[in-house]
Amino acid sequence: MSIQVEHICKQYGSFTALGDVSLTVAKGELVALLGPSGSGKTTLLRIIAGLESPDTGSILLHGEESTEDNASTRGIGFVFQHYALFRHMTIFENVAFGLRVQSRQIRLLRREIRERVTELLRLVQLDSYARMYPDQLSGGQRQRVALARALAVKPKVLLLDEPFSALDAKVRKELRDWLRRIHDELHVTTVLVTHDQEEALEVADRVAILNHGKLEQIGTPQSIYDHPASPFVYNFLGNVNLFHGRLLADLSPEERDSGAEPSIQSAIGFVRPHELELSRDLPVNGKAVTASVVRIRSAGPQVRVELSIAGNGRPVTAELGRAKFEELELVAGDEIFVRPQSIRLFDDDGARALLLDQGAGI
Amino acid sequence: MSGRGCHSSSALLQPSMGQRAGRVVLIAAALIFLAIFLVLPVVAVFMQAFSQGWAMYRDSIHQQDVLSALRLTALVACIAVPLNMLFGIAASWAITRFEFHGKSLLITLIDIPLAVSPVVAGLMYVEVFGLHGWLGPWLSDHNLHIIFAAPGIVLATVFVTFPFVARELIPFMQAQGSDEEVAAVVLGANGWNVFWRVTLPNIKWALLYGTILAASRSIGEFGAVSVVSGHIRGLTTTLPLEVEMLYNEYNFTAAFAAASLLTLVAVVTLVLKKSIEAATGVHQRGQEKEDEL
Repeated sequence: MSIQVEHICKQYGSFTALGDVSLTVAKGELVALLGPSGSGKTTLLRIIAGLESPDTGSILLHGEESTEDNASTRGIGFVFQHYALFRHMTIFENVAFGLRVQSRQIRLLRREIRERVTELLRLVQLDSYARMYPDQLSGGQRQRVALARALAVKPKVLLLDEPFSALDAKVRKELRDWLRRIHDELHVTTVLVTHDQEEALEVADRVAILNHGKLEQIGTPQSIYDHPASPFVYNFLGNVNLFHGRLLADLSPEERDSGAEPSIQSAIGFVRPHELELSRDLPVNGKAVTASVVRIRSAGPQVRVELSIAGNGRPVTAELGRAKFEELELVAGDEIFVRPQSIRLFDDDGARALLLDQGAGI
Repeated sequence: MSGRGCHSSSALLQPSMGQRAGRVVLIAAALIFLAIFLVLPVVAVFMQAFSQGWAMYRDSIHQQDVLSALRLTALVACIAVPLNMLFGIAASWAITRFEFHGKSLLITLIDIPLAVSPVVAGLMYVEVFGLHGWLGPWLSDHNLHIIFAAPGIVLATVFVTFPFVARELIPFMQAQGSDEEVAAVVLGANGWNVFWRVTLPNIKWALLYGTILAASRSIGEFGAVSVVSGHIRGLTTTLPLEVEMLYNEYNFTAAFAAASLLTLVAVVTLVLKKSIEAATGVHQRGQEKEDEL
């Protein structure tokens, strides 16, 4: 079932949680809503679920107007950040709940319910835990039960509200991969809310980035990572070095002949740490700045080098592979040349992306 | 400076003779106080009740008036306690699950019966329902008796025990949050199913705890009931009122026999309360939340 979010606005007092957000989730797609806390991503999810109602705008499920529908009739599965399992019921009863409260006309037989719950518990690999209570399970196991419970009623849409954020890093990673596998198996239209950019980029078919109640950008993980639409998106999708500078417009030969001054525009530039090239010698085109090495962190596959630009002392971080690092023989205190391999420029207020210029002056 | 620090920390681990003696004196004082003001009186009640022997005790309780007082007390408790369970659940549900105007006013109102003297509560009902009260003439025209009759006693008891269930449930339900209920709704449950399958099982211990407190108070209430009862023997006296009347008639054995019944109720209440606390930790959790309020 597809989800269409059309011009949703939601205000809490003077705080704008969502200001005119529209997006579409195709049938069978997994879309991540990514943003910092307070960006409105959870509010949007709850509006899709019918747990909150928007001030204006509408939600269409499978092309049908559903804004006023009650949460209990929307046919959605919802997974909460803190699991929200029924603590007084066994794992089996938790998963069976949605089936047991169905109206008599459509309710499954006792035996059918048992079969379905058993099958789901097998899917989440917890069939041996059926008789236990939620507080006897670990966080990761509880969230798997919560997912099984949500899937029991065969929802047409699955909504997950920061489902892995209460878990430790290793379990989080496992569950993330596992969620993707389940999605590939069942093809339920899924919306995942997260503040973890790695999680969003890894799991989702498309990622929607929200900030201050506005949709900043939506696209495939690859496209938003490679072509961020705004400084916010650039910043949010990983470590970044920020440069303030002025842009000198290139003059055509005629203009140059007439002695015109080049127009100057202030701009901000972003360079990812791995896009900074370090060298002992001045690059041939001469476009590089000198910097001194402040600190080196070499644990892990990539080596992080913290630098201080000569002259203005701005901190910059570079990342390079181990081989390159060993070749350079860097130690703290070294003077070194830094050259951005690519730089992405935005005008001063970040509203507009400017043309890319390789190795522009910093 | 450091020497003193050293000294005091070792003193904490190994109390000196003086400190040890101080501790013994304090504990002894507390125990003696408890013995004189609590244990001794309770023992005295039973001693006095049984002073003329078991047969006399049994006869005292088997008096017509005492039995009818016992019956009235049970009746009042059986009406007042379920009413306040219903009210307590409704109020706690409203306060912890919804946002509405006047919420803090409602929370304050719930506490009024605890703040106001029971005698005042009784007088309020006399003023409203009494013969010379606001509704008195209309009530007497329709031959309805509230004051100096059982309905008045029920009303006064309901008022006095009003806060007990709600005050237990509100902090407890606040601490639990509404996640499970929201989850149930999303899974397709209607309000009825949410309440019976999710809410009630989660609050049952806190509810039982509040109910026991309300029950023991409704059985033992004296002040408010005394004002509205009219003390008509065999008709409008509850057990506490009967105890006072017997006592005023110098019928000590009977008075204490009846009083021993009330004392037993108190003891049973305490035991139940303690065992619920031990079983669930209900009160500790509730108390923390209450401190935040």
